[in-house]
Amino acid sequence: MTYSVAHLGELDRVPVMEGLEWRPIRRRLGITAFGVNAYTAEKVGDWIVEEHTEEQLGHEEMYMVVKGKATFTLGSETVDAPAGTIVFISDPQMKRKAVADEPETTVLAVGAKPGEAFTPSAWEWYFQAYAQAPEDGIETMRRGIAVDGERSPLYYHLACLEARVGRLDDARAHLARAIELDPGAAEHAAKDDDLKEVR
Amino acid sequence: MSGYTVAKLDEIEQMGDGRCPWRPIRHHMGIQAFGINSWTAPDAGDRIINEHGEEGDGGEEELYLVLGGHATFEVGDDKVDAPEGTLVFVAPGTRRTAFAEEAGTTVLAIGAPPGQPYTAFGWELWAPALPYYTSGDYDKAIEIMDPIVAEHPEYPGLLFNLACLESLAGRKDDAVGHLRTAIEKTPRFKDMAKTDSDFDPIREEPAFQELVG
Repeated sequence: MTYSVAHLGELDRVPVMEGLEWRPIRRRLGITAFGVNAYTAEKVGDWIVEEHTEEQLGHEEMYMVVKGKATFTLGSETVDAPAGTIVFISDPQMKRKAVADEPETTVLAVGAKPGEAFTPSAWEWYFQAYAQAPEDGIETMRRGIAVDGERSPLYYHLACLEARVGRLDDARAHLARAIELDPGAAEHAAKDDDLKEVR
Repeated sequence: MSGYTVAKLDEIEQMGDGRCPWRPIRHHMGIQAFGINSWTAPDAGDRIINEHGEEGDGGEEELYLVLGGHATFEVGDDKVDAPEGTLVFVAPGTRRTAFAEEAGTTVLAIGAPPGQPYTAFGWELWAPALPYYTSGDYDKAIEIMDPIVAEHPEYPGLLFNLACLESLAGRKDDAVGHLRTAIEKTPRFKDMAKTDSDFDPIREEPAFQELVG
């Protein structure tokens, strides 16, 4: 493949949480050198960027409001962001979130870690998996492990999905593997309702 | 910096070098992990993305997004109609260019090399010197670039370009000195210097040969 083409309006709409819809660009176009996606909020008040930090991935993130209007919350500050606004967050520890102030607000997000070659993030697999029927989601996570290799978040969310459908032995085994790869996963597991039957 | 920066695209000062004017988003925002800039065509028919191929080691994947207006991309032998909202992704090594179909068309370009860390070369700040480089007034271009290079030691690309100018202006010692610093910061400049005709005036100099091999 030497080039690929898509249109913002025809990208998939993957529901994530609180009205936030993920519009995959990186995977759709086959980009491997940086992370890039769009997000759309159907209604006013829906999330357009989920609350998170970049502590785990260490990414710089740049958001550009390409349609509509949003309000960003960055740490304790709020930023009014009509179309054309660019918000760049260099500090991975900064908590960030944004909500739509107009229907169908769309934000372009670009991210990568300074000084390192880009590696696609595990969340792309589990955002997709949680939007699917449970058995399809489990298959998506298995494919994620086959494509991206053994990574703790992939096993962790595979375990969550297996626990949801009662495959408790599989869930225990995959949670154990997630913790083996990253002992920090045990802390999340202790508080995760999906895993209460397998803890 | 407080950990974040905010700007409106149309408030970022435009720069020009004889091609379509562009807004240096990456430099303006202080981004280090990927390249990102926008180009705006004053008139229909303007070439909004220069023809280039991103060939060789360090060639970047590039994603273009038509933010406003309408463009036509030429990628390899293909033409791509690109109204507002179109995303065009081009892999390294593929020739590409684009023309505006409407006045005011704006294209966002994002880039980084696959499998390698992104390096901000600082080419955005080269714009003021480019017309003088093109016209052969190398001394004037050096006069412009000297303070910019001093102010932005984080950009090895500016050092490389300054070394090019100094070579062309016959300032051999300065050229070798700046090229040495550029190579120390970014080793691939060594290979680039081997084939860059800007260094032809000093190519036989022992200090250049010792540095570049």
